[in-house]
Amino acid sequence: MSPVVEIEDLKVKLGRREILHGITCRLGVSGTGKAVGLLGPNGAGKSTLILTLLGFLRASAGRARILGFDCAHGMGEARSRIGYMPENDAFIGDMTAVAFVRQMAELSGLPPEAALEKAHQVLFHVGLGEARYRELRTYSLGMKQMAKLAQAIVHGPELVVLDEPTNGLDPAARRRMLKLIAEMKNEQGMNVLVCSHLLRDIEQVCDEAVIMKDGAIVHHCNLEEERRSNRSFVELEVTGDDGGLRAALPEIGAEGVPEGLGRWRIVLPPGVEVDAIWRLAGRQNLLVRKLTHRRDTLEEIFLKAMGHIAHTPGEGAASGVAPNVTAS
Amino acid sequence: MSVYKRGYRRYSGPLTGRWARFLVLPRYAWRRLYQQRLVLLLTILAFIWPLLCAGFIYLTNHAELLQGLDRDFREFIQVDGRFFSIFMYVQAGFAVFLAALAGPGLIAPDLANNALPLYFSRPLTRWTYALARLTVLVGMLSIVTWIPGLILFGLQVGLAGGSWFRANWTLGAGMVAGFLMWLLVLSLVAMASSAYVRWKVVAAAVSLAFFFILSGIAEMIDNVLRVRWGHIIDPAWAVNQVWRALLGVEPIEGPGAAASAWALAAIVLLLVVVIERKLRPVEVVS
Repeated sequence: MSPVVEIEDLKVKLGRREILHGITCRLGVSGTGKAVGLLGPNGAGKSTLILTLLGFLRASAGRARILGFDCAHGMGEARSRIGYMPENDAFIGDMTAVAFVRQMAELSGLPPEAALEKAHQVLFHVGLGEARYRELRTYSLGMKQMAKLAQAIVHGPELVVLDEPTNGLDPAARRRMLKLIAEMKNEQGMNVLVCSHLLRDIEQVCDEAVIMKDGAIVHHCNLEEERRSNRSFVELEVTGDDGGLRAALPEIGAEGVPEGLGRWRIVLPPGVEVDAIWRLAGRQNLLVRKLTHRRDTLEEIFLKAMGHIAHTPGEGAASGVAPNVTAS
Repeated sequence: MSVYKRGYRRYSGPLTGRWARFLVLPRYAWRRLYQQRLVLLLTILAFIWPLLCAGFIYLTNHAELLQGLDRDFREFIQVDGRFFSIFMYVQAGFAVFLAALAGPGLIAPDLANNALPLYFSRPLTRWTYALARLTVLVGMLSIVTWIPGLILFGLQVGLAGGSWFRANWTLGAGMVAGFLMWLLVLSLVAMASSAYVRWKVVAAAVSLAFFFILSGIAEMIDNVLRVRWGHIIDPAWAVNQVWRALLGVEPIEGPGAAASAWALAAIVLLLVVVIERKLRPVEVVS
């Protein structure tokens, strides 16, 4: 099976400034219905990479392929199999949502009747069913985001490229957007490429994550494997003498990093529930003031990739070296 | 089953061909254009002159109706190159205003609302997008220019007979070619101004001003430098000179038809460059 995105030593210049500095990676597997997250702070080069993959920007060196098609040439065929939701407002103001989405579907190659039917279906799907005959310029920001998503998926693409899909959304709309993205891959079998600077969004919907910084890829991880293989994370805050906690944690197979003032980051191995921490703290005569239990790992990975911490607790456990947290 | 109960499923049916996709933009644009009352009104008004010309053709081909008129006048009212050139001037004027009215609404809103990435992420290149927009304008302006012109030509052939056609077929061909040349210039001016200005009203004003300003500058060059070649930069004058050559009418004093055609080609090239620079999915600020 071919990768969704294949990049070899890709360099992109905007004007005289080089934005992407020789990126090489292979992302996703075509036809598997997985989501890949492009993560990084503002200015990391995420959008530039997406625009290059869509053939909007030319590479100054290297090669990029999307769904097996070269991004510099031969994107005509690929584009009918791709849906794109841009970051900024993008619509035709004096069109109703249904006319706009229908036109976009027809441009992707759907016959007019099928395009109309799909436009109605997809607008109901994204929650704009009741507003589908309103002109797009009268939509709120959240509604415009949903309309952009609708036009990106109306033709049933193999790959959907979403550039900051939750930008400007309130919490409820954000949850809805993420649920729709998850449905796209799980129920419709679409591959999704999500570009975001929000860790939680990527963590929630993606199976694979690429972290970018200063125009380069600094980390590439398989979130699915991370989720499957380990570990849940506990942030613990206790009062009392916690000096013996580090030695006691291996009794339950856990690994912990003290952060001072009774605060700990603990990695629980698979099969160990958070109750074990309560019992352990009880045995150590510690008073638990706060216990946060999470199943994600991306924040640690992201902070490490950005150079804010030296190791993740999981890494320390794997290598057998006591991990140190060096906050910057 | 109602649409809202059916739920969304990926489309897996057949896809349309390249030409069907290309015609999507013109179809939607024409529908929107003719929903504008002003465009509709101007289009209807543009048919008045062709109707009068049809009446004129009918009259000139019915000698019995002209019996009472002066002989010189009867010889003057002939369906010839001069007749078609007058018909073309009037219709060309309507075309200028129609292009200024309709043209900016085609590209400016797409640029203002950042819609180009949505188009270009589909199987549509910048050139096919531009060509589709050009098709909209040329198609709309054809309805008031060469199509009625060709109908008038056909009417004359029908009334005057095959011998008239054999002697004057170049008039029909020249009229169609001349109109298409003018429509190309008009459409590109409207597209370039809307791509450059992005605001519909201002783009319409710019596209009208383009012709008046160039005409003024041409006049100024001629008068200040006491020459006749200044008019070559005036597209309306240049196209008029080319039309005269195509219809076999006496040319105006100044640069010839070939020089005028080259000048028009240069203007077209300039406009294409402007459009090419502006129609990009992302704008790179260096």
